[in-house]
Amino acid sequence: MPESLFTFLFKYRPIVFERGRLVFETSRPIVLLLAALAVVLVLGTVYLRQRARVGGSTVAVLTAIRTMVVALVVLALFRPALTISTVVPGENFLAILIDDSRSMRLAGGESVTRGAQALEAFTSGSSELLAGLQERFTIRYYQFSDITSRMDPSHPPTFSGRATDIGAALDYVRQDLTGVPLAGLVLVTDGADNADSALTDPLLQIKSRGIPVYTVGLGEESFRRDIEVTRVEAPAQVLRGSAFAVDVMLQQHGYGGRTVTLIVEEEGTIATTKTVEFRRGQAGTTVRVNLTAETAGPRGYRFYIEPLADERVRENNARDILVSVSDGRQKILYFEGEPRWEVKFLRKAVADDENIQVVVLQRTAENKYLRLGVDDALELTRGFPTTREELFAYRGLILGSVEASYFSHNQLQIIEEFVGQRGGGLLFLGGRASFAEGGYAGTPLETVLPVVLEDAMPDEPAFLAEVQVSPTPSGMAHAAIQLAPTLEASTERWNTLPPLTTPNPIHRVKPGATVLLTGAPLNGDDELVVLASHHYGRGRVIAFTAQDSWLWQMHADMPLEDMTHERLWRQMTRWLVSTVPDRVTVETSKNRLSPGEPVIIRAEIQDSSYLGINGATVTATITDPTGAETSVPLEWTVEEDGEYQTVFLPTQRGTYLIRVEAEHAGHSLGSDDTEIRTAYMPTEFFGAEMNAPLLRRIADETGGRFYTASTMAGLAEDARFTESGKTVVEIYELWDMPAILILTLGLIGAEWGLRRRRGLA
Amino acid sequence: MAGHLNPEPDLALRDEPTSAPALTAIVAGFLSLGTVPTSVEGQNRLVDPSAMVAQPVVDSVPHEFYFTRAMYSDIRARFPSWSVDYPKADRQFLIGLRQLTNIDASGAEHPIRLDDPALREFPVLYAVEVGYMSLTEAERRGLRDYLLAGGFLVVDDFWGTWEWLNFERQIRTVLPEYAIVDIPLDHPLLHVFYDIDEIVQVPNVGQGRSGGPTWEKDGYIPAFRGIMNEEGRILVAIVWNSDLGDAWEWAEDPFYPLRFSNFAYQLGVNLMVYAMSH
Repeated sequence: MPESLFTFLFKYRPIVFERGRLVFETSRPIVLLLAALAVVLVLGTVYLRQRARVGGSTVAVLTAIRTMVVALVVLALFRPALTISTVVPGENFLAILIDDSRSMRLAGGESVTRGAQALEAFTSGSSELLAGLQERFTIRYYQFSDITSRMDPSHPPTFSGRATDIGAALDYVRQDLTGVPLAGLVLVTDGADNADSALTDPLLQIKSRGIPVYTVGLGEESFRRDIEVTRVEAPAQVLRGSAFAVDVMLQQHGYGGRTVTLIVEEEGTIATTKTVEFRRGQAGTTVRVNLTAETAGPRGYRFYIEPLADERVRENNARDILVSVSDGRQKILYFEGEPRWEVKFLRKAVADDENIQVVVLQRTAENKYLRLGVDDALELTRGFPTTREELFAYRGLILGSVEASYFSHNQLQIIEEFVGQRGGGLLFLGGRASFAEGGYAGTPLETVLPVVLEDAMPDEPAFLAEVQVSPTPSGMAHAAIQLAPTLEASTERWNTLPPLTTPNPIHRVKPGATVLLTGAPLNGDDELVVLASHHYGRGRVIAFTAQDSWLWQMHADMPLEDMTHERLWRQMTRWLVSTVPDRVTVETSKNRLSPGEPVIIRAEIQDSSYLGINGATVTATITDPTGAETSVPLEWTVEEDGEYQTVFLPTQRGTYLIRVEAEHAGHSLGSDDTEIRTAYMPTEFFGAEMNAPLLRRIADETGGRFYTASTMAGLAEDARFTESGKTVVEIYELWDMPAILILTLGLIGAEWGLRRRRGLA
Repeated sequence: MAGHLNPEPDLALRDEPTSAPALTAIVAGFLSLGTVPTSVEGQNRLVDPSAMVAQPVVDSVPHEFYFTRAMYSDIRARFPSWSVDYPKADRQFLIGLRQLTNIDASGAEHPIRLDDPALREFPVLYAVEVGYMSLTEAERRGLRDYLLAGGFLVVDDFWGTWEWLNFERQIRTVLPEYAIVDIPLDHPLLHVFYDIDEIVQVPNVGQGRSGGPTWEKDGYIPAFRGIMNEEGRILVAIVWNSDLGDAWEWAEDPFYPLRFSNFAYQLGVNLMVYAMSH
């Protein structure tokens, strides 16, 4: 119901009914009730006499109507009223907080910006709203964006804040006005809060003081025509030369059916482009872009769509991310239980990869091992590692065709811990002694595997399937198994690869595992799982059930210049170790931010068994864009073993290099590097529609009200009704509400009409 | 079906692995094996009945490894050079290989033509008597693709300057861009399974039995050479002035000196393990 109609019918604005307490002012309620009862009985008796003429049902209706009329009269005679706490005029303060951020420069109405709307309503001398407020309150102005300050209305804000932090603004004002009779806060904003801090705590504080927050939302709740790059999800760190996938989430309004081009730039140079078609009726679209990190160091990527001519906001068409490209050498242990061609061709495939070191331990005869790619003469001399320290020195582990009974229980346990605790990558290869055929069912490694082991049947002939391998929908988009620069070319390549064989009948994966490749047996049997992965503890486990991927190098159908086999194994081995942590790892809460925005530097420090160390000396050496170095100590967080953090405030524009070094008991535990890049970000233009749900929530939780530009005129009147500040209790009579009169007259009219139709009038 | 799954011909020996993995035990084991005449359809002209050690059987289980013998064109009129010592040398080498290592090797000989597209599915290749080799264009192309893709060729049993020159001429038409170099004694190939510190000249069966000179023609000095690519991977291993094949073939002969068979098995095993890992 429109507020004006409500006010006409019920005499007062809705807020009076929301805030007021119903009371009855009559002094003789019993007498009134008895009199009313008597009237009803008399009327009922009179009507009952007419029952023979007009019928029982008409009599019942007439009696009911007359009873309601009597009830309404009695209700009015009871003198209902609302008692409500209202401010004492001129003795209370009202804080008006005006959003000073850049998004207020966007249009709020047809031809006026949100900021201008705010100033016109709350600072202009000609504003009736302001006059109404000034009659009742002493006004205190504040402006807020990422920082909050008092505002002099004669020097209005310029709407140049680069972020919006509503929670901080509420906190600031609450503290600034401690000790004064504060009747409420008026929050004038578009609600486009983009601060990391949660609103819950500031709202609880406000609520506990009983201060209502009146929120005034400016701007449109949804743009009519706009494209926004809402989010870009990419790994913060990749290994040089690795392919990695980036998910770009786009939002559009009014462009359903249009095709646009997503452009990806790496450090100012176009890296790739992708055509995106916006479906009708679907606002959100996610686009996956596969990129390759060719150069080590911090690499900035920009994802953007050229603004269309009639777009409402052009600044939200681009997003920047920073990817830290590391150049370390990742050591992977490949243990093979017998000489197999996979060893030769896997080594050959990654031989030119400077970032991958595959150390091979191959059992060539019983108790005879061949070691390849080791760092020194002592490495692996006693066979497969028997201690956590020895195994945890590797970042990845590939298990070939080696039966489970080869390992001691302790070794199986430390392999499980290698994944679960150390966060290492584990890759199982297919083979005659792999998976169930290798006796892994019931061992600690069965729980680690992403696939379900099917019982090996000892009496049946050995299983062997020749399969045509193809990617699943998840696989097609996965960077590790892309065989060509484009999705279409990659799919085409997969379709033409020669078949492989697997001796491991695996048809199912565990919940949460992802199947990337399947194999269709050439004999028409049920499809098999060829490549699946999942996360186990801190690590990643991959199952690749084929036993002869080397055929993708050696088959006669594979041209000599074809790099499929090399590409696949380089990507697979990099994927295996891509997220494996070191003993010292550092990360920041964000790596693209504006100058002056604080960033949390967090480090995890572990011993050689990958157990957190709490007493370490951890220091971050931060090199700013000019080359100047600052050392900042990191403190143990207490919440997690081995977790340390500090807060850093970058003030300049450019790239900051952060190196964290840790020491414990006089020994270095290692170091790790990361980067952050600061630039003025158009944060304000993302999610810049008026955030009505947030503003409603703030108002509801604090006992205030939410207004828009069209309803804010009532704010001056509404703000009177508060229990905060200096107040008095006022009584609002309800007996003379037009609604009672109209209803009474309506009922009497209805009764008269009915009696006339029945011949009683 | 991929060629390596069902190689032709499907021939194998009824051999059971011995419990003692010592080389001498294997060689002694051959002494107890009788010679059994055999007839393999289509191969009668190649098989010396007295050279058979056991009945060949069809082995339907696919294996990881097939000891593949190169069938190539040559300049000989009476019999094909590639078939010298075939198949007994192959079979007896495989018996040793299966017992000494845990390579999942087929027990059957496995010849294949150089111009067969399936060649590439068998990444190790053994060729003998290459001194008489005369490759056709298709064989040359097939062998070149095979080696560049990742295949490994072992050549054996050719002697003296003339045969060397012929082989060198032939292989240069296959891999003109790579030189033939000596493989030094500290090369990983010579230490990948057994530590081999000396290249022994292995004589043919006649001279070995009689205790005569170990050389043939003017091939007095045995050589172990190779053709390597840019990354140092050996594409072709060349055993010149030596006859590993005869030493495998006659390992069970009480008159053939054990030390020659011993060396031949050691080098053969190293070649195969190296081929499967490098």
